[in-house]
Amino acid sequence: MSTLSLVVWIIAYPIIIFCIGVLLGGYERKFSARVERRIGPSWIQPFYDVIKLMSKKTNVSHGYMHDVAILMLLGGTLLTLYFVPVPGFTYFSQFGDFLVISYLLLIPSLGMALGVGETANPNGSIGISRALQMLAGYEVPFILTFIGVAMKEQTTSMLDIIHIQQAGGFWAWGLIAHPLLGVAALIALQGMLNEKPFEVIVAPHEIATGPMTEMGGKYLGIMFIQHLIAVPLELTLYINLFLGGASSWLEYLVKLFVLWTALISVNMVFGRFRVDSAVKFMWKISLPLAALGVIGIMLNIA
Amino acid sequence: MAKELTQKAAWDRVLAKLKKNSLWMLHYCTGCGAIELPPTMTARYDMERFGIMPMVTPRQADILLITGYLSVKTLKRVILVYEQMQAPKYVVGFGSCTINGGMYWDSYSTIKSLDQYLPVEMYLAGCMPRPEAIIKGFTWLIDRVGKGEANSWRDYYENYEFYRKNQEELFGGPIQSYQDIPADAQKFGILEARQ
Amino acid sequence: MSTSMLLILPLAGFLTSLAAAWIVPASSKARASGTVQKFIAGIGFTALFVFAFLAKGEIGTGYLGIPLFGLWANFGLTQLSWYFVAMVAGITLVTVLFSLQGLRDDGRYSFYYVWLFSKTFGMLGVLLSADMLTFFIMWEVMSWCTYFLLQQGHEKAKRAGAGYLVYAVTAGMILLAGLLYMYFNVGSFDFRTIQAAFSGFDAGRIIVAMLLVLVPMLIEAAAYPVHWWLPSAYANAETGISAYLAAISTRIGIYGMTMFLFAGFGLTALNLVTANKYVSANEVLMIIGAFTMVVPTFTALFQHDAKELMTWHSIGQGGYMIVGIASSTTLGIAGGLFHVFNHMTYVSLILFSIAAVEYRTGTTNLNKLGGLIKKQPVAYLGLLFGIIGLAGIPPMNGFVSKWLIYRALILSGHPFIALAAFIATLGTILSVYKLIHNMFLGQLPERYNDIKEVGWGMRLPIIFMMAVVWLTGAFPGTVLAVVADIQQSLGLEPIAYSAHGVAAEMGQLNMLVINIVFIGGLFVSWLIYHAGGKRKHIGQYDNYAAGHFLDKSIPYNYNYNFYAGMDHIFERALHKPPVKRAEQALAAFVSGMSEYVRRIFTGNITTYAAYVVAAVVVILLVLGGGR
Repeated sequence: MSTLSLVVWIIAYPIIIFCIGVLLGGYERKFSARVERRIGPSWIQPFYDVIKLMSKKTNVSHGYMHDVAILMLLGGTLLTLYFVPVPGFTYFSQFGDFLVISYLLLIPSLGMALGVGETANPNGSIGISRALQMLAGYEVPFILTFIGVAMKEQTTSMLDIIHIQQAGGFWAWGLIAHPLLGVAALIALQGMLNEKPFEVIVAPHEIATGPMTEMGGKYLGIMFIQHLIAVPLELTLYINLFLGGASSWLEYLVKLFVLWTALISVNMVFGRFRVDSAVKFMWKISLPLAALGVIGIMLNIA
Repeated sequence: MAKELTQKAAWDRVLAKLKKNSLWMLHYCTGCGAIELPPTMTARYDMERFGIMPMVTPRQADILLITGYLSVKTLKRVILVYEQMQAPKYVVGFGSCTINGGMYWDSYSTIKSLDQYLPVEMYLAGCMPRPEAIIKGFTWLIDRVGKGEANSWRDYYENYEFYRKNQEELFGGPIQSYQDIPADAQKFGILEARQ
Repeated sequence: MSTSMLLILPLAGFLTSLAAAWIVPASSKARASGTVQKFIAGIGFTALFVFAFLAKGEIGTGYLGIPLFGLWANFGLTQLSWYFVAMVAGITLVTVLFSLQGLRDDGRYSFYYVWLFSKTFGMLGVLLSADMLTFFIMWEVMSWCTYFLLQQGHEKAKRAGAGYLVYAVTAGMILLAGLLYMYFNVGSFDFRTIQAAFSGFDAGRIIVAMLLVLVPMLIEAAAYPVHWWLPSAYANAETGISAYLAAISTRIGIYGMTMFLFAGFGLTALNLVTANKYVSANEVLMIIGAFTMVVPTFTALFQHDAKELMTWHSIGQGGYMIVGIASSTTLGIAGGLFHVFNHMTYVSLILFSIAAVEYRTGTTNLNKLGGLIKKQPVAYLGLLFGIIGLAGIPPMNGFVSKWLIYRALILSGHPFIALAAFIATLGTILSVYKLIHNMFLGQLPERYNDIKEVGWGMRLPIIFMMAVVWLTGAFPGTVLAVVADIQQSLGLEPIAYSAHGVAAEMGQLNMLVINIVFIGGLFVSWLIYHAGGKRKHIGQYDNYAAGHFLDKSIPYNYNYNFYAGMDHIFERALHKPPVKRAEQALAAFVSGMSEYVRRIFTGNITTYAAYVVAAVVVILLVLGGGR
């Protein structure tokens, strides 16, 4: 990549992903409204929300860790974003494979957990406790599916996995070539995105929105920005591993919206699991599926 | 950097046009008027199409809905909640009880006129107002925010002595947790900045 | 010459501080005795550190033989042992500097430095020994000195120390059996002769020798299921001692394991054993390592004492090292050895922070602390860097060694052990968040309103270790260079490292790029944050409580039973863990047997006379029967 196009990509990439995230968020609210026979807000409603939050005149915070944590939250997500390959921009992916990405995904959660801890509100602490338990729940099957894929292709680099899928055409897509792993990862992805039935960390009526309890103004605004970037990021991870990556932006957007529609349809139908039920669901249904898939891969090559 | 930007009229107009589409209300249901909110939020009248969503904590909300009669005991908590909210914030008096006491006009324990104690942006008359009236009121409020005219929240900083005097007369002394409003006005530059 | 100084210095230190402890009477001039000993310790360990680095030039050449009752005790320095020697010298120096202020001069710990010197002597002796007999003698010295060091504490520490002694003496006896087995099979104690001989033996003899030698190493390294001595022994010790023990003491077992596997038995013998069709020896070790990683980490989740939580983590991290080294792949061995260094840096950092908190508040009970970030920010930052390193999150150094181990496991076809390693990381994140939340975040109780930060004597080691954790994370090549040398000296393929990570042919990892992008991301977030207008700081009582007025009389905190969901899921396993039950059953059996044996001593003279007559009769029968 030439230096100029690299610099342009570095600046434009998060903005593009943010806009995609706004559209995905607005699409989700419109979709859920239509399912409930309502009209629903505008397609770019998350953008209005972020603008409103960032333009608050008075902001309150509980201490310096609270401030720094918000920076860690968004900074960590931006850091992870650069290592995920998208069509046309794969420069940084050579320096970090999927193991790096899955660990980098932990930095925003840790940052937010520390900031919420400083707010000294037990609703926030309970929310973080649930968020971390959910993390232990969904990461285990998700990592096992990745280990299976990496073991089969003998590489841990996401670029290699994308190339292998694109070279083999539709039948080499992860979801078709190793279906058990793909389905297990899909269930884990629902947990990663905090969509129902795994939405327990927010639980507005029970713990006053959990981690967001004492966040307002620009703090909540940055949390929203982070969420709007994290949703396309995590969907892209799944697309790169199991849906064949994307060779053009049109194909990428189509895959994003189809996958997102599938996930939010499940979101509309379910209520919210309790945290230990959610973790048990992940470990009793998604994890055995992934384990069976991995054993299948081992028997094929052993 | 932020201060100069917000003092430019064009930037503020642009922001106001964007902000008006996303007002969040605090689910603080003080009296019987709150029963009209669920129908307004759900599918038949769908308040969400205006961008108005219920939010849980004062830190996250813009609109404080005082739904119905407000007893003196509750007013103390409402002031606590109001001061925890972040500017710009809009108090909406919902129902006739906030305007003139309504059905409880001769009660010893309710307040008769909300704007003695908090700066009110909008009143919705009715006992209680139906969802159509609520939507009409909120669209009026959204228009006002869009034009940049919804500035009653500044009144609390500018005329703090008036509000404080009325509150202390009613309660018989200061409540447990007052914020330092004049210091906040100083720190955030609210009295000097333009809208 | 430096090699011999490495042994002479601790011995000299031991004798001089012993003299200082005895000559100055403990009760009258307790303060003076403590100061003199601290002075001796400071000088002695600084000199030791200097000689440790000087000794690097003597690797492979500085042999030292000491005549001992007709046999020779041989000492020498190899690449592997120098790595551990440097770590021991380094962390002991930092701990001693921390303890100069952290250890109160009230006469309780008058022999602390005495036994610290002797234990260092034992550890360095084990690391420097060049043959089996010396190894065993130094091993016993080290175990006993650790026991004496553990006795420097209050009642619970003394009893826990006795528990440690049982395990350590058992390990020592098994090692003695291994020593004798090897001698009778090979005829010499020297490691090189043993290696040459073992390449010609059949698999059966190799397996027996391996068992006899590796089991004591695993006991010392606190592998599952022989790990029960560690939490109570380390957690009840004085916190400065805990830091030192958890950081490096158990890793002598890892040194022993690596040394015996690759230098003692050698690669050809290993290949003989690993040629089994169903499960090879290193897979057995990896499975033990996998259990060691997962079970103690999840036990740590539910502890409510800060030091116990950390010592359980110590066991779990040892599992990573066992898995890495047992995988016998380049990446795995490099990861396991690097992990020893990383673990040392961040565990000592975390335990220093906990010590700083305990120094001021007097407690490590997680249900009682909270909100100390406002009072002890340096200890908080130390703990933060430590837990980021422990959880293996970039950009700290823990990530690099974990990355190496994961890659090794995935590429060599051990997916479930890689999954176990990842599960251990998740458990680590959960429990260290509980640690930092219950100690530093949340509501500050009123009784801690007057707590101050600790003095510079304790702050400087914390800041220094923070810098080490971060810099070795950004530039892991500095330590990986030593690890590559070790791999080469053992006859293995060295890891292809670069200054800031791993080179492209072994899968590229560039920590510097990660650091730079992270700082860039933080800068962009700061720009967005700054565009959002001013903010004011508010106290903890100005909080959402559904309209309720908060003040200091209302505990508004979530500390107790922090992971209630996990408690629900693991209820049965928690309250009756199987290994503890087995240990208790064994203890009950032994005490039952002892009860029977006790009955022999009735105290009645006629019974004893009857015993003597019976014994004479039996002897006559045996002797007569032979004819």
